Amino acid sequence: MIEKGALNEVPMFGKRSEELSHISERMHLGLSVEEMSRMQVYFENEGRNPSDVEVQAIAQAWSEHCSYKSSKIHLKKYIFGIGKEKVVAEGDAGLVSLDDETAIAFKMESHNHPSAIEPYGGAATGVGGILRDIVSMGAQPIAVTDVLYFGTKKIKGFPSPKFIEGGVIAGIRDYGNRVGIPTVSGGIVYSEFFSPNVLVNVGCVGVVEKKRIRSSAISKPGIKLIIAGGKTGRDGIHGVNMASAVMESGEEDISTVQLGSPITKEPLIHAVLEANERGLVYALKDLGGGGLSSVVGEMLQSGGMGGRVLLDRVPLKESNMKPWEIWISESQERMLLAVEEEKVGEVLEIMEDWDITAEVIGESEEGKRLRIFFAGERVLDLDTDFMTSPVLYERPSSIKERRIVQVLPKNPTDFGKILMGMISDKNVRTREYVVRQYDHTVRGSTVIGPFTGIVGREGPSDASVIRPDWNKESGVAITHGSNPFYSQIDPYMGGKAAVDETVRNLISVGAEPLGFSDCLNSGNPEKPEIMGEFIEMLKGLHESAYDLNLPFVSGNVSFYNEAGKRRIPTFPTILGVGKVDTISNAISPDFKGTDRSIYLVGIPTTDMGGSLYYRRLKIDGGRVPYSDPKTLKRRGWNLLRAIRSGKVSSVHDISEGGIATAISEMTIGSGIGALLDLSPLGLRADFAMFSEPQSGWIVEVKKDREREFEEILGEDSMYLGQTQEGSFEVVRGEEKLVSVGLDLILRNWKRGYL
Amino acid sequence: MKKDVEVAILTMEGTNNEEEAYQSFKHSGASPEMIHLKKLENGTKKLSSYDILFFPGGFSAGDYVRAGAVMAARMRSRLMKDLEEFVESGKPVMGSCNGFQTLVELGLIPNVEEKYGLEAALAPNISNRFEARTVYLKISKGHCLFLSEFEDGEIIKLPIAHSEGRFVPKDKKVLEKIVKNGMNVVSYVNQLGNPAGYPWNPNGSESNIAGVCNREGNVLGIMPHPERVFYKYTESDWTRGGGKGGMGNPFFRGALKYSIEKY
Repeated sequence: MIEKGALNEVPMFGKRSEELSHISERMHLGLSVEEMSRMQVYFENEGRNPSDVEVQAIAQAWSEHCSYKSSKIHLKKYIFGIGKEKVVAEGDAGLVSLDDETAIAFKMESHNHPSAIEPYGGAATGVGGILRDIVSMGAQPIAVTDVLYFGTKKIKGFPSPKFIEGGVIAGIRDYGNRVGIPTVSGGIVYSEFFSPNVLVNVGCVGVVEKKRIRSSAISKPGIKLIIAGGKTGRDGIHGVNMASAVMESGEEDISTVQLGSPITKEPLIHAVLEANERGLVYALKDLGGGGLSSVVGEMLQSGGMGGRVLLDRVPLKESNMKPWEIWISESQERMLLAVEEEKVGEVLEIMEDWDITAEVIGESEEGKRLRIFFAGERVLDLDTDFMTSPVLYERPSSIKERRIVQVLPKNPTDFGKILMGMISDKNVRTREYVVRQYDHTVRGSTVIGPFTGIVGREGPSDASVIRPDWNKESGVAITHGSNPFYSQIDPYMGGKAAVDETVRNLISVGAEPLGFSDCLNSGNPEKPEIMGEFIEMLKGLHESAYDLNLPFVSGNVSFYNEAGKRRIPTFPTILGVGKVDTISNAISPDFKGTDRSIYLVGIPTTDMGGSLYYRRLKIDGGRVPYSDPKTLKRRGWNLLRAIRSGKVSSVHDISEGGIATAISEMTIGSGIGALLDLSPLGLRADFAMFSEPQSGWIVEVKKDREREFEEILGEDSMYLGQTQEGSFEVVRGEEKLVSVGLDLILRNWKRGYL
Repeated sequence: MKKDVEVAILTMEGTNNEEEAYQSFKHSGASPEMIHLKKLENGTKKLSSYDILFFPGGFSAGDYVRAGAVMAARMRSRLMKDLEEFVESGKPVMGSCNGFQTLVELGLIPNVEEKYGLEAALAPNISNRFEARTVYLKISKGHCLFLSEFEDGEIIKLPIAHSEGRFVPKDKKVLEKIVKNGMNVVSYVNQLGNPAGYPWNPNGSESNIAGVCNREGNVLGIMPHPERVFYKYTESDWTRGGGKGGMGNPFFRGALKYSIEKY
């Protein structure tokens, strides 16, 4: 019980609601009146006013960022529980099984708000945070990924898109390269949608021996809490509250962005994993949003324990920090290890060996009370259940009536010119100017990287493949899917399309999809139309994952990506992982030889809404391509069977820019052309070439394996033409539609780079 | 003849290629060990008890100063004598990427004056940015023990990943001696095996130098990463067929063979 008048008491007793909301504002708590009154009732029952540490701790735990209070009800309904038998464990990251001994841990999350304010630091700490989530499961990170969404328009009061882009890329590069984990997969999408609300979605994949998977729950008294890694400072205070509100301008809130130190992180990963490898770690968790407050609270609460922490023991960057600042600071590169008393010495020795600062700061206790002391005084004394259980909201939602107007553009004449425009479009052309600044071969395990094909003229790959254990033949495939353009028109189909693309990419390298992480980006959930979009997106994700029977093992929700009247579409970025059973069966999209048969798996569509073709023609509207998960499953898994049994020499999925763009990309890494005849497709030539049918692939089949291939794929495959030397040609019967040289394709694809 | 070849892979905060270096030695049949620089400094471990010394790449001490400078300075102040003895005893020493930078900062490479002075630098790439790509390299093996398993003139492909890799000798004399002594053992070339500009030479290195061996043939500094391509499946173009085995593999085989025969 805290004595009245001791420390910094927050007078809440008997206050009216406007006074409560004034307190929330003054202390930057970001809580509603309803939440403040709930706190008031709790402390009235305790017979006292809360301390500032207590109020801040509760505000952290109840923030949208930490508690998912606006999304949890819906996530439970649509996302949790699908494909459960495939989930090995869940926590800071989710795990699926690679083989009998090994699990894959992976997660994708957003670092949108910090990156919009301070792009370099925001993006760098995004990488740092996601790495810690993987290490928290006891797993060795093997790959970092990032999908970035940049604006194209300067908005008054916010930094220019160029500045943001430069900062974000440099932040990822400088952190990722220094920490020694390859950045192997990702994407960049440019659109006016993301001015000024840039999105930085970062993912990480790791592997762990199943018996070494750690949880974060502490369910025994007397377990010591060790804070390890970076020291605690004033950087990143109230980060979670900032991430749970609409941006007012680009200049505020800069103190809420943390500072990263990759060369502290690199040995910290080693040390923590070594301690885990030696069986010394009881439980662990990373210190991210909400700092010690969130982590200690959750570790104890999830195991049904209470505990005590001595704040004076926390190693600090600056000496005059207030207790509440120490308790909620989001300083980077910190982990909390729960260790049985007799193992503490050994753990501290390992830390010492790696030059890591580590300190015992508290322990678990029977009961449900968490007590925090500072300078001999009790500054927090709370029931952990109360602290970690926010009000969940089922916010009002409304679905916007959409009138689908199918528009028919004029029949084009110069198809070659249209195609070259697409290849050099800023959303299609090479990402080498960014990706070649990321180390994608460190750890020496990259089997398929971001670029494949002939050295010196590599083209894009669909997914990356990492061989985590040099003694085994299995590989982990990693990729992403998202399409904000579809989602902007139709959040439901956009959700399905994101899953479709993820699965297509995994199949394209010869991997069996194992599961997804969903990083959900949206606007202000307090607006009914946004909540409506959010729910529609979830329905799309649900239907696809359910039919595929693949789990979402982890994810995050980023609301409030709004500034003034500008907001982003509601859409997911999906991180998908798959298993390549034998790496020698992995496959890349560059054509392998001339005079081989090219097949289309899938059917072109007349639904052109959101397609690159329509966007370039500035056609607003039209139905977005339809993804049917049952079709996806049939085609995808049959194609996988054909790949694994050696019928196929290259595969590329059909995405932005349709069949013609996909085939152009297959010529880039190979220097091998193609001759297609569109006659069997029976559609308008532009729709045949440029529509973006879902669940579609272009496949180069090995010589004399055509019959076997057709037998496996059945009616889902259609012969389109042959690979050839020198050029890419498209005809329809006698009519010549496209004839372009391979060097022209290469030059257009490399536009802006070299 | 020695059966168990012990390899010290030197680490400090910011080195980060130790894992693939460790695996490459392990899969070559050696007994590698990661040694934190601290343990050599405080005497817990002794350099002389190892047969091969490897400086991994990465960003030692963050590379916020000049690449490799901090690690080299720490070694110069406490361990230079041990290091000189190790080198002079003829044992293999190799550094890749940041390890090459450290070897140059330590004066072990190129060391044409044989005074362990600073005779070269690895300057920022001419593109002024980090470059991660696969490069073609020509081997001029001389008597560099790490290259004994290659054919002379062989063209290989290895990944690079660095922002400071432009080899710049202190003066013309140093460059002349490097060339005259055949110490420029690994050079950037194009796909036809000929010298060419960016991006074939990814950093603008003088005389297309990618790797330099000391005159005695036992110290190799190289910007590309042999340790990342131990098996065929990490060659960036392996899906196009061909390839007999990882192109980085012979570096390790060569060093191991040497150690087994000599000791």
